Amino acid sequence: MSIQYKSIAELKKMLNNNEISNAELIKETFSLVKSNAEINAFITLNDEESINKANKLDDCPSSGSLAGIPIAQKDLFCTKDLKTTCGSNMLSNFIPPYSATVVKNLENAGCISIGKTNMDEFAMGSSNETSFYGKVQNPWGKNLVPGGSSGGAAAAVAAGIVPAASGTDTGGSIRQPASLCGVTGIKPTYGRISRWGMIAFASSLDQAGPIARTAEDCATLLNEMCSHDEKDTTSLNEDIPDFTENLNSPINGLKIGIVKEFDLSKLDNEVVKVFEESKKHYESLGAEFIEISLPNISLSVPTYYVVAPAECSSNLSRFDGVKFGKRCESPKNLEELYIKTRSEGFGDEVKRRILIGSYVLSAGFYDAYYKKAQQVRRLIKNDFDSAFKSVDIIMSPTTRGPAFEVGSKGDDPIQMYLEDLFTIPANLAGLPAMSIPNGIIDNKPIGLQLIGNFLDESRLLQAAHNFQISTDWHLKTPRGIKS
Amino acid sequence: MDKKTVSTIAYLSRLSLNEQNEDKITKDLENIIKFVDQLNTANTENIEPLASPLEKTAKTRSDNVSAKNRKEVFLERSPKSNEDYFLVPRVVE
Repeated sequence: MSIQYKSIAELKKMLNNNEISNAELIKETFSLVKSNAEINAFITLNDEESINKANKLDDCPSSGSLAGIPIAQKDLFCTKDLKTTCGSNMLSNFIPPYSATVVKNLENAGCISIGKTNMDEFAMGSSNETSFYGKVQNPWGKNLVPGGSSGGAAAAVAAGIVPAASGTDTGGSIRQPASLCGVTGIKPTYGRISRWGMIAFASSLDQAGPIARTAEDCATLLNEMCSHDEKDTTSLNEDIPDFTENLNSPINGLKIGIVKEFDLSKLDNEVVKVFEESKKHYESLGAEFIEISLPNISLSVPTYYVVAPAECSSNLSRFDGVKFGKRCESPKNLEELYIKTRSEGFGDEVKRRILIGSYVLSAGFYDAYYKKAQQVRRLIKNDFDSAFKSVDIIMSPTTRGPAFEVGSKGDDPIQMYLEDLFTIPANLAGLPAMSIPNGIIDNKPIGLQLIGNFLDESRLLQAAHNFQISTDWHLKTPRGIKS
Repeated sequence: MDKKTVSTIAYLSRLSLNEQNEDKITKDLENIIKFVDQLNTANTENIEPLASPLEKTAKTRSDNVSAKNRKEVFLERSPKSNEDYFLVPRVVE
């Protein structure tokens, strides 16, 4: 029986019923990776160790909630003794001496990390075109981008190679590729999942989360990924509920906010139509819609493009060619070592963002840009705080449209930045948000975004699961994927 | 945003831009800065800046030794090191 496109829940059943052994499951997985190599979803494979682990599980079964489940890890998480590049030439030779807390948590639950997924360099991009290791193909079309930055992760799940993948989301990097590849992804509340061992891009925005086929699987994964971690000072020390517990509770009376300021009239008719159909579907499930106002939301993208580059320029100063990673050939002096190493090691988009960051943080501009952006960030957060007094969740399209063609955003970085228009606000406010497939336009999937209140992932997952048990958008699969 | 500003911030960032790149980057940065100038439309008088969504004081933990010194593990990941140090070009003549 094929394992392709199976959810975690289905694979667990197959393993438990002895329809397949752990070793067979992992071998099948690698055979799918190989037959779909042109998607370029993976940078590094962990084949030998994965097969060893699977054999061990066959000999000595484990009761972990993810025992034997193949999972792809985004190449931004440090994995002990397994190359971790963050999509960059800078780290093309980096073998971490430890694993990220979230990788450890998943592996402690028994999952098998089968490899590291391709991504935009240092997670800076929305199309996976900035990866040093080549573009990732969207399984829904050879010339379509998978979105980014977790493009390899979303593509691997969409092609049915793995049931789930880890991702990270700084401005939409889980939700946007999930939307463009027709899969489900959630970014939990900032602080729910430890950032220890995650290569930092913008520390006040970065948050890990799962990408999977269903909201139910996302809940199972979140149960394992979340933890309080003393090694991350921003890790939340709050109760972690069982995220699967309320999935099946009906959503009668759920109050869903629609943001007045998200001007959908600028989107394609088809995109609006898909969104309106989902609204109707939620109404049929007993939800009610309330128009809300987030007056400062239109400033989210400009706020983000000050805050994120500022934090990035500071975080990426650690890549200096001294302690790990790449170093340039025969530098004349220490300064040349820094400059040549960084100029050779980073790609154009990363350089662009470091430069913006250095500019907005430099003397004379700090107040006008960085401080101003942080003040607007508070206004945006305040807007959400007021909105959540009258609604339970907020709903919008995840993206402005379905997957676009490789190279179609041209040379203008701002066009690419606007790709994250709907997703960035949740990062600025630290709120949980997810994307679920809700339609197909021109044979390309598109997603619906649900944003929740602080720590209210359970309600998001419940709303998503209720949608998925009464629709089949999440079950659609692309044509032409090799089995 | 002019070439001189760009070359100053490039130096602050310890990046070198080649000439053909410089024009493009200057133009990109100018456009991006123009784009973020929209922030000036917001009235932020008396608004406290928000640095992180979790407005909590950084937690402290007790000062116990929790990890072994793994000097050699870290040194061996360096592009150039000896038994005790990361090596860089000479800085003191």
